[in-house]
Amino acid sequence: MSAPQPLPDADLLAPDKPATEPARTRRVPAFLRRPGGALGALWLVVVVVGSLTAPLWVPYDVTTQDLANRLALPSADHLLGTDPLGRDLLSRIATAGSLPLLSSALMLVVAFAIGLPLALVAAERPGRTERFISRATEVLLALPATVLLLAVIGIVGNEIPLVMAVFGVLLSAAVYRVMLGVAQSVRQRLYVDAARVDGLGSLRVNVRHVLPAMGTVIAVQGAQLFGIGILVVAGLAFLGFGPGEPAPSWGFMINDASSHLFDGPWLLVPSGLVLALTVVAANELADALAARGGAGAKRRSRKQVRAAAAAAAAAQGESGSEQDAVAQPVPDDAVLAVRDLRVSVVGGPDLVTGVSLTVRRGTVLGLVGESGCGKSMTARSLLGLLPDGVAVSGGSIIFQGTDLVGRPEKELRGYRGSRIALISQEPMVALDPAFSIAAQLTGPIRRHRGVGRGEARTIAAELLRNVGIVDADRILRSYPHQLSGGMAQRVCIALALTGEPDLLVADEPTTALDVTVQAEILSLLRALVRDTGLSVVLVTHDLGVVADLCDDVAVMYAGEVVEAGATAGVLDEPRHPYTMALLGADPHVPDGEPVPERLASIAGTVPSPGTWPEGCRFAGRCLFATDACRTPFPTVPAHGGGLVRCVRVEDLALHQISWTPEEAGAETATTAGGAR
Amino acid sequence: MLAFVARRLAFAVVTVLVAVLISFLLVHASDTTPGAVRLGAGATAADIAAENARLGWDDPLWQQFGRYLGQLVHLDLGTSLIDGRDIESDLAARLPVTASVAVLATLLSGLVGVLLGVAAAVRGGRFAKAITTSSGIALSLPQFWIGVLLVYVLSLQAGLLPATGYVPFTTNPGRWLDSITLPVLALTVGGAAIVARTSAASMREVLGAEHIRTLRATGTPEWRIRYVHALRSAAVPVVAVLGIQFIALFGGSVIIENLFALPGLGQASQAAASSGDFPALVGVVVVATVVVVLVNLLLDLVTAALDPKVRAA
Repeated sequence: MSAPQPLPDADLLAPDKPATEPARTRRVPAFLRRPGGALGALWLVVVVVGSLTAPLWVPYDVTTQDLANRLALPSADHLLGTDPLGRDLLSRIATAGSLPLLSSALMLVVAFAIGLPLALVAAERPGRTERFISRATEVLLALPATVLLLAVIGIVGNEIPLVMAVFGVLLSAAVYRVMLGVAQSVRQRLYVDAARVDGLGSLRVNVRHVLPAMGTVIAVQGAQLFGIGILVVAGLAFLGFGPGEPAPSWGFMINDASSHLFDGPWLLVPSGLVLALTVVAANELADALAARGGAGAKRRSRKQVRAAAAAAAAAQGESGSEQDAVAQPVPDDAVLAVRDLRVSVVGGPDLVTGVSLTVRRGTVLGLVGESGCGKSMTARSLLGLLPDGVAVSGGSIIFQGTDLVGRPEKELRGYRGSRIALISQEPMVALDPAFSIAAQLTGPIRRHRGVGRGEARTIAAELLRNVGIVDADRILRSYPHQLSGGMAQRVCIALALTGEPDLLVADEPTTALDVTVQAEILSLLRALVRDTGLSVVLVTHDLGVVADLCDDVAVMYAGEVVEAGATAGVLDEPRHPYTMALLGADPHVPDGEPVPERLASIAGTVPSPGTWPEGCRFAGRCLFATDACRTPFPTVPAHGGGLVRCVRVEDLALHQISWTPEEAGAETATTAGGAR
Repeated sequence: MLAFVARRLAFAVVTVLVAVLISFLLVHASDTTPGAVRLGAGATAADIAAENARLGWDDPLWQQFGRYLGQLVHLDLGTSLIDGRDIESDLAARLPVTASVAVLATLLSGLVGVLLGVAAAVRGGRFAKAITTSSGIALSLPQFWIGVLLVYVLSLQAGLLPATGYVPFTTNPGRWLDSITLPVLALTVGGAAIVARTSAASMREVLGAEHIRTLRATGTPEWRIRYVHALRSAAVPVVAVLGIQFIALFGGSVIIENLFALPGLGQASQAAASSGDFPALVGVVVVATVVVVLVNLLLDLVTAALDPKVRAA
C-alpha cells in the first residue's frame, strides 16, 4: 500500500448504469392524483369552458335589467342572484370570464416567449451575455408593475389584452430568473454534455434535451403566473379599467359590491368566490405539479419517528439477532461496544442489521465498504444523529458502560461534542456560513468548558494551532466561504475537539479533499490519536486509509459486517470473498510490485435495502457462491477477535482461492479503477 | 462592503432611469398628444398643433428626454395637463399615504409570515400542512376583495374601524392608525401567506443542512440551533421575498386606495390614467420606482448584514 487512494465506488463498479431519470410516461399524470391538483384542474376546465361558451348557455342577456328584482339572493330564476340593476349574476360572471382568462393566457405567451429563449441563451453563454441579460431583467423586476400598467392604460386606453401583453414583458424577467436556474442545472447534466460533444447543434440540444427537462418547472410557473394575471385583470377592472358598463367584469362587480354593502352584501360572494377560486385553482395546480418531482420521498411525521425510537428502546432488552445468537462479550478496554445494531427506515426496510463493533481506547476502527452499504448510517447512529425518518430499531450502543440506544434526546445532547464528536464528509458545508470561525468555535468551547469569552478565544486559537493552522488569528476572523477545503476540515476537527471528546466519529473525512490535502488530514488524525489517546471510528471507502491509520477494521456489505478483525489480518489475509474483491479492485500497487494489467471488478451493484436476499447478501455478485450461501448461516470467528460472515470460508481457505482479474473476467475492469 | 453598496446604488439609479425611459417612450408611442389632452375635445387641429409646439412635443425625442432628466435632477416633475397643478408637490403630499400603507403591510407580512413559517418548519406534521394549505388559499385571494370583506365585517358589522377616509398622522396619530388599519390588513393577508411559505421552505431546508448537523454533533441546544443559527441562514431568501413583496404591496396599495378613499398615489395614477395626463403618469411612475428601489436598497443592506458571502462579493 503506497499512497492512499479511494476505492472505485458503486457507480464505477457497475456496468454502464443508465442515468436514472424520473419516469415521464405514466397513464394518469401524478399531479392529478393529488386532490388539490385534480380539483384545481377540474375547476379551471369548468371556468374556461363555461366562460368561452357563455353566449351559448347563459340564461339571461348580460344587460337585461329586472328592476323589481334588484340585489336578489339566489333563487330558481337567478341561480346566483342579481346585481343592483337586477341583472342576472350567473350570466354576467360567466360572460365576464373570457377576458381575464384570454388576456392572462396572452400575458403568459408573451412572458414565456421572451423569458424562455433568453434563459436558454444565457445558460448556453455564461459570462458576459448571461451577466448582461441578468442585469437587464433585474431592472425589469425592480419596477413597480401596477403603476406602470396604469400608465400604459393612460396612454393606450382600456385595451386590457394589450396592457396584459405589456405585463407579460415585465413578467418575462421573472420567467427568465427561474428558467435560467433550471436551464443551467440541466445543462450540467452529463447527457447534455454528451449530446454537445456529439456535435448536436445548439438549437437541437436545447429543443431535444434542455427544454423537455424544464417541462415541470415551466408548467408550475405558468400556472402561478396565470393566477397572478387573473388577479391583475380583476384589479384593473376594480379600478374601472376594463370593459366599461354595461359589459360585465369580475373586478368591477366587486367594486359594485363594495358600494352596496348595506343593502346587498350577497353581491360580494359570487363574483369574489369565482375569482378567488380560479386563482386558488391555478396555484393548487402549480403546487401539485411542483410536488410531482418529490413524490417518491415520503415525509414522516415526528410522531412516527418517536414511536420507532420508543419501539427501539422497548426492543433493546430482548433483542437477539437471528444470525449472531451469542452476543460478543465487551472487552474491558472498550470505549465503545456496538452490539447487534439494527437501523431502519421507520415503517420501512432495515438499513443496517446485526452490526457489532468494538473500539478499544486509543485505537482507530475503520468501517469500510462500497457506497450504500450502511457505513454512514452506523456511524451516525453512534451520536443519535440519524436523518429524519430513520431510527435505531434494535441492539445496543454501549459507550463507556452506558447504553445510548433509546436514551432521550436531551441526555444524548450531553454526550455530543463533549464525549463523542463528529467530523463530517463535506467540510465546505459543515460550518455555518453565516458565522465567523471564532463564533463557531467559542460557542461550544464556552459551553463545554465553562470559560469566559476571552479565554474561549484563546483556547480556540490554541485548538487551531493544534490542528496545524499557523495563522490561527486570521482564520478565527474568517468566514467559512473564505477557507479552502483542507483548511475547513482542520477547523471542523478543531470544532470536534472543543469538548475534549473520548471518541471521534469521522465520516469519510477526506473524501471531498484533494489527494495531497487528504494525506495531511490523515497524518493530523494519526497524531491526535497518538498524542491524546483519542479513539476514532473512521468511515471510509478507501482501503489505503484503512491500512494507513486503522488498528482494526470492519468490512460492511449491504447493511452488515461481513468481515472484521485486526487491520493487518484482514487486509493481508482476507477471508471473505467481498474483502478479497475490494482488495482486488483497489488500484494501489505495493512498493516494488509491477502494475497489474487490469484490476478485478465486482459485477453488479450492492442490493438496496429491502431487497436483500436470505443467507449471504453478497451471494448474487460472488464468484464462489453455491447453494449453501442462500440459506442463513452463523458467522465464523477469524483474525483473532474478529469474524467472517461466509459459509464457504473453510473451502476457500483450503483451496487458496482468491479473487483475481482473470476469474472476474470483466472487460471493463481496467477502466473501473482508472477512472478516479 | 463599500463596493457592494456602490454597486447596489448604481443599480438603483439605472432602474430609475429605465423606468423614466420606458414611461417616456410609452407616452410618445401614444396616438394622442399632450396638446389634445390639455385643450380638450373642442379644440381644433391647428390649436392642438400650436399647443404641442409650445410644450416642446415636436422636438427630437432625445432632447425632450434630456430636458426631463434635467428637471428631474431639480426634483421638478412638471405640471398637470388637466389642471396645471404642480405634480411634485401633489405627489409629495400623496406619497406618505401609499408608502405608509405599503411599508406597514410589508413589516406586518414579514412578522406574521416568519412566525407562521418558522413554526410550521419546526413543528412539522399536521400544523405545517394546515399552514401550507391556508397560506396557499390566502395568497390567491384578491386584495381588494379581502378589503371589501374586512370593511363589511370590521366596520359595518362590528363597527370597530372606519370604513373609508384618511386622517394624516400629524393631525391625530391614533385616528391615522385607525384609518390605515383596514388597508394594511387587506394587503397583509396575502403578503404574510407568501412570506410564511418562503420562510417555512427556507427554514426546513436549512434545518436539514449539513452545518446544522455539525451543530447538533457539538451538543448545541436545540433552541440555539433553530433561532440563532438556522433562522439567520433561512432569513436570507425571506428578505429577498420581502423586497419583491414590497413592490407587490405597493401596487396593491395603489389599487385598494380606491376602496378606502385614501388620498395616495393610487388615486393620482388612477385619475391620470383616466384623463391621459402624461406628465402626471410619468411622475407617478418615477416616484413609485424611487420608493421601491430605495426600500430594496435597504433590504440589500439587511441581506449583507445576514450573509457574509454577499458582504464580501
